Amino acid sequence: MNTKSAARWAKAGKYLLLFLILLFLLFPLYWMLITSFKTNLESYMYPPTFWPKDFTTQSYISLFTENNQFFVYYKNNFIVSALVAAITLIISFMAGYALSRLHVKFNPVLVALLTASQMFPVVSRLISLYSILRTVKLINTVPGLVLAVTASQIPFCTMLMSSFFDGIPVSIEDAANVDGAGRFRTMFSIAFPLVKGGALAVGIYSFLMAWDDFLHAAILIQSDELRTLSVGISARYLGELSYDWSLVNTISIIGILPMLLLFFFFQKYMVKGLVAGAVKG
Amino acid sequence: MERQLRFNKKTGDRLFWLLLILPALIIITTFILIPIADSVRMSFTEYKMKNILRGTPATWNHFENYAKLLRNKQFLPTIGRTFGFVVGVVLAQFLLGMIFALILNSNVRGARLIRSVMMMPWVVPTVISALIWLWIFQSQYGLFKYLVSVFSLGAVNDFGILNDTSWALVGIGIAALWKQIPLTTLLLLAGLQNVPDDMIEAATIDGAGYFTRLFKIVMPYMRSVIQVVLTMAIIENFKQFPLIWTMTGGGPSNSTTTLAIMSYREAFVSQNLGSGAAVTTIWMLLMIVVVWVFRKLMKRQEID
Repeated sequence: MNTKSAARWAKAGKYLLLFLILLFLLFPLYWMLITSFKTNLESYMYPPTFWPKDFTTQSYISLFTENNQFFVYYKNNFIVSALVAAITLIISFMAGYALSRLHVKFNPVLVALLTASQMFPVVSRLISLYSILRTVKLINTVPGLVLAVTASQIPFCTMLMSSFFDGIPVSIEDAANVDGAGRFRTMFSIAFPLVKGGALAVGIYSFLMAWDDFLHAAILIQSDELRTLSVGISARYLGELSYDWSLVNTISIIGILPMLLLFFFFQKYMVKGLVAGAVKG
Repeated sequence: MERQLRFNKKTGDRLFWLLLILPALIIITTFILIPIADSVRMSFTEYKMKNILRGTPATWNHFENYAKLLRNKQFLPTIGRTFGFVVGVVLAQFLLGMIFALILNSNVRGARLIRSVMMMPWVVPTVISALIWLWIFQSQYGLFKYLVSVFSLGAVNDFGILNDTSWALVGIGIAALWKQIPLTTLLLLAGLQNVPDDMIEAATIDGAGYFTRLFKIVMPYMRSVIQVVLTMAIIENFKQFPLIWTMTGGGPSNSTTTLAIMSYREAFVSQNLGSGAAVTTIWMLLMIVVVWVFRKLMKRQEID
């Protein structure tokens, strides 16, 4: 009897903890969502309302009509993130294949180099990149920003890619080699289809990380029409003293939406990929 | 003849290897390694934004940037604050993530759905998560102020966490936890699922209680995942910039100024690149030492 009630208490405690953690993780998103549907006047009400009294799409309309500079940042962010993801995927696919399949003495050095590269502070790189990119006329350009962000993605993505190759048996490629397929053909038409899921995970991961970039764009981009999302938002919509909080929350919603869709759509690959990369190191 | 062929294959492999890693090597060298080395060099020079604009070269200044940092009364507190932030967030993140993962691994109803929904904060861009929490913590109309007032039964009615010098960093820590707990949980959960059931069953038959099993069997088995999770968390929080910059900009009165904020301010707000580079160089050294010590500690555990 006693152990039975103890077990019941433990179970209740477990569900209470679960509820509290989920509340912490999900309530802020709910809060953002309902604030975006409040009038700005209502969002400044205290005590706050937990459901909008006058449900309004006024902030969404104002975002699409008056404050639409936002969509320039949005578009730029898409361009930059897509380019970063594509280049990162190609480069880390090649380098990851080399690390996993070709046993060259220099490999451990390369791994050490990649590991170290992940640790350097971005500000430290940018202090120097600012003047380097100025000299080669890549400052304030999309290619300059894309290359700088790509570089920060390559180390982790290469190691992730190589762990995917480690996970598939080498015998299939050996068989292809015996059949006389060249190295490139073996890599592209035999190995690539086997790690397609992993490649997808790497692509989406680097897209997400590039979408999140703030520092690179803050330093390397100066003109407003080239700004990306994070910098654009903080420069334009947080500059004034009086915030339009309904609008800010609307911007947040629209800024998150594509990422959420992307994540839920490719969730299976993402979760598997991230776990595989981390568990393998 | 056969020997000749083998040699050729080996040379071919090497050339192919070089070809494959060359793009990665070039981009890492030009956009990471050279800039890092260059900024370390800059840290020993007088080099300001106007040097770039006028095209005048940097000049050696006899460790003046470092001397200036040591004279700066804000410098040591900033280092302490950075460490405090990293230790606090990493520990809380690991603890909460582990509890969450253990719950999700224990035949909870709807675990699959929860596992996918819980990842949402991780996908939210950092600047936007800063906005979300900035709004919750808003000092006049914010939800947090209201909740504090309700739960303290009206004793504390005016709590603007980000305006309070002794609490502001905690507020940022909460936002950091919100964004980072999902991935930590996901990875720890994967580690938990790798622990073989028969090991746990054997311990249960031996009469080991829940916590004995957890600390003596489950956690040691997950050591490599735990190490990866903690290393990632340490690096991420050590480098944290956009969250702090957007939420407080380092204030009020420097109470949230970490090394990241300090270096950015020196280099790009005060436009003194050399002195900013000195901050990042020290920051880098500290980070390398911390990660190295941490790895050593994990290794020692392995031997025990």
